[in-house]
Amino acid sequence: MSSLAEMATIFLAPKDRDAVLGDPAEKGASGWSALGSVLGLVVRQQMELWRAWQPWVAVSVAFAGSVLLLGVSFGLSMDSRHLLRGERGYGSVLCEALLMLSWAWTNGFVVGSLSGNARWVSGILCAIPCFSCVLRFQDTSLSRLCVLMFLLPGVIGAVQGVRRARLSYRTALTLAIAMTALMLVWGGRYIQNWFLLMPAWWLVAHAERSELSNGRWRHEDAK
Amino acid sequence: MLGEFEYVLMTSAAGLGESAYGAAIREEIEKVAGRRCSIGALYTTIERLEKKGMLKTWMGEATAQRGGRAKRMVRVTPKGMHAAKEFYEAMMRVSRNASWAKGKPERAS
Repeated sequence: MSSLAEMATIFLAPKDRDAVLGDPAEKGASGWSALGSVLGLVVRQQMELWRAWQPWVAVSVAFAGSVLLLGVSFGLSMDSRHLLRGERGYGSVLCEALLMLSWAWTNGFVVGSLSGNARWVSGILCAIPCFSCVLRFQDTSLSRLCVLMFLLPGVIGAVQGVRRARLSYRTALTLAIAMTALMLVWGGRYIQNWFLLMPAWWLVAHAERSELSNGRWRHEDAK
Repeated sequence: MLGEFEYVLMTSAAGLGESAYGAAIREEIEKVAGRRCSIGALYTTIERLEKKGMLKTWMGEATAQRGGRAKRMVRVTPKGMHAAKEFYEAMMRVSRNASWAKGKPERAS
C-alpha cells in the first residue's frame, strides 16, 4: 500500500513528497493511512487552489480562446489557399496571420501566468476542443491539422507566461495597440474575435498595476 | 488577521523552536489543543502561511526512522510573530468580560 501512496505523490510538489510520506512512516502508520494522508493533501491543495479567481480566469480563457482560435486557424488556412489561387491579396492574409499569432500568443501568456498549479486543467480544457475539431474535420481539401496552427504560438506564450508572469507596461501597451489597429484595418471579420483582444488589454492593465505598486514600494523605501 | 487553526499551528511551531517540523507540530497540536490534525490540513496551512510570509520552511535531514525521507522544517518569521501576537491580544481583549476568562461560573441563559 505504501507503494500506492508513493505513486499518489506525483500530484504533489517535490518538496511535499518527502514530508508527507516521512511523517506517517515516523509514527509507524500503516500504508493505508499514508495513502489517505497523501490523497487528503492532494484534495486540500486543489480546493485551496480554486479559492482564488486566477485559475478560473485562466481555464475560461484557455477553453474559449481554443474554440475561437480553431476557427481562426481554419479561416487562415482557407485564405492561404485562396491566396495561392490568386483570389486573395497578400496584405489581407498577412494581416490575418499576424493577428492569429498575436491572439494565440497573448491568450497563451495569460493562461500561463494565471494558471499556477491549475496548468493541467487549462491544458485539458484547451485540448478538448482541439481533439473534437480534428476528429470531426471533414474538408478533404485541407489537412485536418491546419486547425491546430494556433497551438505553437499559444504554447510558446503559455511557457513565457509561466516564466515571466507579466510584461513590461510599454511592451504590453505596444502589443495591445498594434493588435487593435490590425483588427481595425483588417475589419475584424468575426465580431467574436474581439474577445481574443481581451487578454492583450488585460496584460496592459496588469503591467500598469504592477508598475504602479512597484513605484509605490520604491517611494516608501526612499522615505 | 490569522485564522484560529493558523494561530494554533504557529504557536505550536514557535514553541517547538529549532525542532519544529511537520510531524512534531502535528503531535503538539493534538497533544496541547486536544484536536485531531490531518496531514492535509497541516501542510496546506503551512503552505498558505509561507505564502503570506509568516512562516519559512526548508527541507531538513533525512532519518532512517522516516524511511530515509527528509523533514520539512518550519520557523515562524518576525512577520508571523507580529501577526500571532496581534491575534493573541485581540482574543484577550475580546474575552475580558467572558465568564470563562475570569474564572467565574457561567450564568445560565
